[in-house]
Amino acid sequence: MSLQQKASRALLSRGAKKLDSGRIGFLYVLPWLLGFLFFKLYPFASSLYYSFTDMHLFNGISRWGFFNFENIFTSGQIIKSFTVTFKYVLVTVPLKLVTALFIAYILNFRIKGVTYFRTGYYVPSILGGSVAIAVLWKALFRNEGLVNAMLAVLGIKGPSWLSDPQYALFIISLLRIWQFGSSMVIFLAALKGVPEDLYEASTIDGATSRRQFFSITLPLISPVIFYNLVTQLVQAFQEFNGPYIITKGGPLNSTRLVSMIIYDQGIKNYKMGLSSALAWVLFIILMLLTLVAFKSQKHWVYYSDEMQGRGKK
Amino acid sequence: MKKLLALSLALVMVFGLSTTALAQSTISFSWWGGDARHEATIKAVDAFEAKNPDIAVSDEYSAWSGWEEKMGQRFASNSAPDLNQINWNWITAFSSDGSKFVDLNTLSDIIDLSQFEKSGLDACTVAGKLQGLPVSMTGRIFYWNKAAFEKAGIGVPASHAELMAAGQVFKDKLGEDYYPLVLGTYDRMILMVFYLESVYGKDWVVENKLNYTKDEIAAGLNFIKEMEDGHVIPTLMKLTGDGADSLDKNNNWMDGHYGGIFEWDSAAGKFQKALNEDQEFVVGEHFSDWGEYQGGYAKVSMALAISETAQDKEAAAKLLNFLLNEEEGVALMESQRGIPLSKKANEYLAANKLLDPIVAEANAKVLSWVRFNLDPLFESNELKADETGVYAQVMANLSYGEVDVDGAADMLIEGVNSVLGN
Repeated sequence: MSLQQKASRALLSRGAKKLDSGRIGFLYVLPWLLGFLFFKLYPFASSLYYSFTDMHLFNGISRWGFFNFENIFTSGQIIKSFTVTFKYVLVTVPLKLVTALFIAYILNFRIKGVTYFRTGYYVPSILGGSVAIAVLWKALFRNEGLVNAMLAVLGIKGPSWLSDPQYALFIISLLRIWQFGSSMVIFLAALKGVPEDLYEASTIDGATSRRQFFSITLPLISPVIFYNLVTQLVQAFQEFNGPYIITKGGPLNSTRLVSMIIYDQGIKNYKMGLSSALAWVLFIILMLLTLVAFKSQKHWVYYSDEMQGRGKK
Repeated sequence: MKKLLALSLALVMVFGLSTTALAQSTISFSWWGGDARHEATIKAVDAFEAKNPDIAVSDEYSAWSGWEEKMGQRFASNSAPDLNQINWNWITAFSSDGSKFVDLNTLSDIIDLSQFEKSGLDACTVAGKLQGLPVSMTGRIFYWNKAAFEKAGIGVPASHAELMAAGQVFKDKLGEDYYPLVLGTYDRMILMVFYLESVYGKDWVVENKLNYTKDEIAAGLNFIKEMEDGHVIPTLMKLTGDGADSLDKNNNWMDGHYGGIFEWDSAAGKFQKALNEDQEFVVGEHFSDWGEYQGGYAKVSMALAISETAQDKEAAAKLLNFLLNEEEGVALMESQRGIPLSKKANEYLAANKLLDPIVAEANAKVLSWVRFNLDPLFESNELKADETGVYAQVMANLSYGEVDVDGAADMLIEGVNSVLGN
């Protein structure tokens, strides 16, 4: 052993005496812990406190109470915003999941150039949330945009997609559904994990492709469907970029999602108290829906270990 | 040898950095605007740095969209730049107690305040502190695209009656998509107040109280509705469907489908520049057939203010004075922020023919016409914000037919009273 090696070993053993494994572990997690305390827990707790105040960025706090929550449940504009958000979630989450699963199912076949297709379908979900795509979307659907120009070629006068309350939410929803790529990739991985022998056995038993899909594929990928459902649900409730850039919440508040009201009240109107209360109401709704989703698991989600367990019994 | 070399390099570096730090005071300067304003301001800042080698200036600038929200957060968190171009209502919105901006009277040995009229300085004095130095006064006026009117076979309107008649002419001669005027939601609100002031001869808000009855406001809203019904202005559904972020970026303005705008005099440049080459931009007149009074108001278009958090307030004051009062700075800034209020700047620009003739004409017309006062809360974000503000909500609901003029008047009164704290 060289002199240098001996020295470093001595240093290490001395250090080890001072810091037992527990303390070393604590040191390792300290950066994360500090980040969590200052950037997550503190803002989280502060917003809960502010939600019971009339905290204004420039005027501070002058009263405490439940008035923000009363305001939320009595203000027509805020209630409309929650209604719009629920509509948006109800439309986009199922359609996005169905589209993602459908495309993943097709791309799971051995088709020539399938890797290019996979990349092509995945690209929108990388670009979709960006400002540039939202601007492009706006250009596509404006009165004299590409969509209406194409309709005009067919002799159809296109509607005012962005300024007619009948269509605006649909256009915003379409942008989200179009970003199905990330869910698709997860579905594709799950589909590849379904054992081939199950299909072979069922084919011998005379099962049709349709029966195979509903009785083998869907149950076996149900944990992944569940995962995608919960993540998409959370993301859809938090959507902001698309409607903010494309319609700014209009026309007539038909695309004003709750996240936008949180932004408007906190950042534009400096009413951090009301903004925090809105954020907490949204958080509670999300928690409840996630809880319902988890509780519903036992009725439709099948985990392979559970199935094996059932088999053994 | 290597150690000696490293030590020497380190010493030289430390010496170099420390002398730079000692010699230079760095101040930050923020503003919003279009490209022309950015270019002019950057040139002026460069000239200031050349003249004051001990002061370095870091620029922060952008378009207006989103700027107020950003700066609001910066002022709230005491992290605003040292010198700021501010909107007039920011003084009351951000610093009603005088805590955010320096009292410029305390820097009067650096800033030549004698170049400004007392009324201008008073407008920026809140909580007993001169919190900003007014750059220019501005008000709204009609601008017409003369070529669009000529195409319709008529002259630009000089009265409300002529404007109303032009609506039908545009529709019949040019087509359904042609309108003599275009108004966004905030434009509609301002035009309505100008009209009401012309008819009733009183300010919109007096001593923090809305000064108009429901019937009077309903009459004002009806005035707007009639313009929409008479094909004078496009509906908000049509305008929103154009998909443009602002009127100067709207193709229908550029190519003459929309024949006029009602805008700030200081904004003439960007709207003129936006027009296609075959179009012609002219300044309009205020209409005298709305009522017996000269309705309308002018306001401080913007001010320059020094943050209380600025480390080197004297350096920021030097830059402020250079931009607003010193010939070299004034010459480079031109009239990119409207017609300067500083007497020295105004005289210099006029003598050297550096004032934009269109802006100068519009500004002169506005200032000689308007007779009423503007309450700073009129421009509160809660009222005027795009889409979310009370004005936008009222005008949109009226335009889309969701409410009648009575319902819209109720909405407007409730919203304004809420912001006024009544």
